[in-house]
Amino acid sequence: MAIDPIYIVQLTVNGIVLGLLYALIAVGLALIFGVIEIINFAHGELLMVGAYAMAFALPAVGLLYWPALAVAVIVSAIGGLVIYELFLSRLRTSEFERSVLITLALSIIILHVVQYLFTANPRLVDTQYGFDGVDIGAIRITWTRLIGAGAALVAFALLYVTLKYTQFGRAMRAIAQNREAALMVGIQPRAVARNAIVLATALCGLAGAVLAPIQLVTPSMGQSLIFKAFALVIIGGLGNIPGAIVAAVGLGLMESWIGGFFEIIWQELAVFLVMIVVLLLKPDGLFRREAMRVG
Amino acid sequence: MTAILEIRELRKSFDGVHAIDDLSFDVEAGRITGLIGPNGSGKSTTIDCIGGFQSIDGGKVMLAGADITGRATHEIARAGLMRTFQTVRVFERLSLRDNLLIAAQHFDDAQWTDELFRTARYRRAVAAAEARAHELIELVGLSRLIEAEAGILSYGQRKLVALAAALMPASKIVVLDEPVAGVNPTRIREVEEILRKLNSAGQTFLIVEHNVEFIGNLCDRVIVLDQGHKLAEGTAADIQNDPRVLEAYLGMTPEMAATAMQGAA
Amino acid sequence: MKTLGVLAVALLCGALPYLTTSNYVIGIAISACIFTVAAAALNIVYGYVGLLSFAQLGFWGIGGYAAALTVMTYGGSFWQGLLWAAILNAAVALVIGYPALRTNRHAFVIVTLAFTLLVTLIARDWVDMTRGPLGIPGLPAPTLFGLEFNTTPRFYWIAWTFAVVALGALYILCSSRIGRTLVAIKQNEPLVRAQGISPMPYKLAAFAISAAVTGVAGGIYAFHLRVIDPLFLDFYYMQTFLIMVIIGGAGSFWGVVLAGMVMAAVPEILRFSADFRMIIYGIILLVAMLAMPNGVAGWLHDRRVERMRAALR
Repeated sequence: MAIDPIYIVQLTVNGIVLGLLYALIAVGLALIFGVIEIINFAHGELLMVGAYAMAFALPAVGLLYWPALAVAVIVSAIGGLVIYELFLSRLRTSEFERSVLITLALSIIILHVVQYLFTANPRLVDTQYGFDGVDIGAIRITWTRLIGAGAALVAFALLYVTLKYTQFGRAMRAIAQNREAALMVGIQPRAVARNAIVLATALCGLAGAVLAPIQLVTPSMGQSLIFKAFALVIIGGLGNIPGAIVAAVGLGLMESWIGGFFEIIWQELAVFLVMIVVLLLKPDGLFRREAMRVG
Repeated sequence: MTAILEIRELRKSFDGVHAIDDLSFDVEAGRITGLIGPNGSGKSTTIDCIGGFQSIDGGKVMLAGADITGRATHEIARAGLMRTFQTVRVFERLSLRDNLLIAAQHFDDAQWTDELFRTARYRRAVAAAEARAHELIELVGLSRLIEAEAGILSYGQRKLVALAAALMPASKIVVLDEPVAGVNPTRIREVEEILRKLNSAGQTFLIVEHNVEFIGNLCDRVIVLDQGHKLAEGTAADIQNDPRVLEAYLGMTPEMAATAMQGAA
Repeated sequence: MKTLGVLAVALLCGALPYLTTSNYVIGIAISACIFTVAAAALNIVYGYVGLLSFAQLGFWGIGGYAAALTVMTYGGSFWQGLLWAAILNAAVALVIGYPALRTNRHAFVIVTLAFTLLVTLIARDWVDMTRGPLGIPGLPAPTLFGLEFNTTPRFYWIAWTFAVVALGALYILCSSRIGRTLVAIKQNEPLVRAQGISPMPYKLAAFAISAAVTGVAGGIYAFHLRVIDPLFLDFYYMQTFLIMVIIGGAGSFWGVVLAGMVMAAVPEILRFSADFRMIIYGIILLVAMLAMPNGVAGWLHDRRVERMRAALR
């Protein structure tokens, strides 16, 4: 089988874009886990809500990409805030299984409500950019993918700046590193948790909104992505943000390469195997939970 | 007298900080030995290292001549070293009886098949364990609460349960990590009595404590730690008059201490 | 006294086909028997060991497919199919369990979830083995010494016998020293280790036993449905088992059994809309976790502890 180098490069480019999107999701999960030690099972559904918000906002603003994106991100962030305030704010960090089941229940409710209201029919989402793209030699990257990758990179840069230089960000890192010490110096856990959730779900909503024009929007789109995001967070080390990003891009690339040559089943199997191997060798993940090191 | 526990050149660091540095001491069989030292001197770390709750960076731990350095926690327990914890640990949702029975469970030779078929071996093991549990609960004065869940007991009562549990199996040495911290004074007297009684029946103890008076009353031999190494060793009286100890603990010279004690008298 | 009561109830349930001729009701009872056992098996891992395992659904699926394939592809009997369901699941559980149980409780949840998703994918995409989305229809009725279990009441005997035997075995396990050790591990693992017990073999054993039992339950259910396809691994089943365990009270043997029996009728009542059913399930799960996380049995236990505490003063 002659392997076309152009094909490989195309796969690589797609893989990186995919990886960056995975990273958006995984970073949000890592952030939430680092600050309140909860694995948010509803994360995928918040992504889906972001995608649907994008799907509905676009026609309302004449298919303009950026306003619709803003709406989608805000909707997801509000969703995250509401979930936190109503259901998660009173949980203690020791009640891990309870938090899993609560977010799981929410994920089921959200998914099926959306499915009930909007049916399971996949939706094609169109934007002002249509299917136009950039051609570099024989490689084509659609604008929607390019913007998606760009938005992800900008988001990570903003996140880095926030975590490292703002008080709001420092408080989050403090809580993630040493909860007791942070509480003793007067950091308010609920306020920090609320901020972390809003940030994380905004990222997630961004991922959903960016994905909407790239792939079909269905109520269960969050489900398939979230399993991979969980695997990433584990592989990267729970609560470790740079670890999650590295793992995500790695996964995107691996998926793209494998998917380009083999059937989909091998992609999933590969992810699972990598996760198991990593856990066998390093039960705490590839990069130990250095409690949300920023870099 | 034979040494039941031998520590040789023990070393343990955390991120470059030497918590324990070249520590060596013996615990003699049949004696009550105390381990004291100011905060941060490495007492609890020493116990954790001996008991297999912390990895050891260097040195050796020998129990009755057998090398237990770096072995798994449960193996060390089975080798004959039982311990209690500084933050008292009991099974909160189990009765006192169950708390004690579990502690003895793996020291008899009954298998799950024995239990399934209720063989004579199983029934003997259970009877022996129940008898010992009753004896120990009686000794710590909690008989009327034997069916109560450990979670509803007060802090001091839980410490007694933890003590009783550590005594359930026949062991070579019982290591007590701050057995009377946070316990009210009358109870402390009771605990002294209990430990003396058990010691006269032959049980060896190593006790880590802050309460110098408690140690003074009970211990045949006291080892003083400071910043991870052995500062002094001797009888309680030796220690109380050792100027190095006084300085490390109280920042006092013997003259100042004498004045202080006169003031307290 | 309690034993007599339990036996009486068990016999009463066994007599169901004599009490009603409605195949509909007996069908519900068959599901009740099977689901209750699956919930009890989940209880071993979640209630007794204290780990939230989504692998349950994967084992259920493997059990169903193993039994179906044994009969349809390899020409074995229903009973051999069940045996393979148990053995295969126990083996898989040991292999997956070893890395999974060594990690912390956070990673455990995700690894077990990943395992189940993988099983679902295999069911859907390994078409050569499992016939993919089309599934394996036409599973025949079990036979034993010439007697064919081809009517609903007859199949009920299989389900009922299984429930009695499986629940009996699980009960013996839970009330034995092994069960007590599992509970102790859940409550205070360092203390358990300090008392000479290595937790890993216990957790592995519990995981494997739970998997084997769940697998057999899955096998029987597949033959009740007379067809197996990837929908057998629908998350709906996991939720059903979870809700039974949570409402009954994780860690309470009889609480979960009772919840299982009572809640068996719920899926039927909610049959009219798949989405609606899931939404209701989600709401039940949510309310239970918010208001009564320890289930009915847990709530009763807390009342009793309060009384004991008050009596001590």
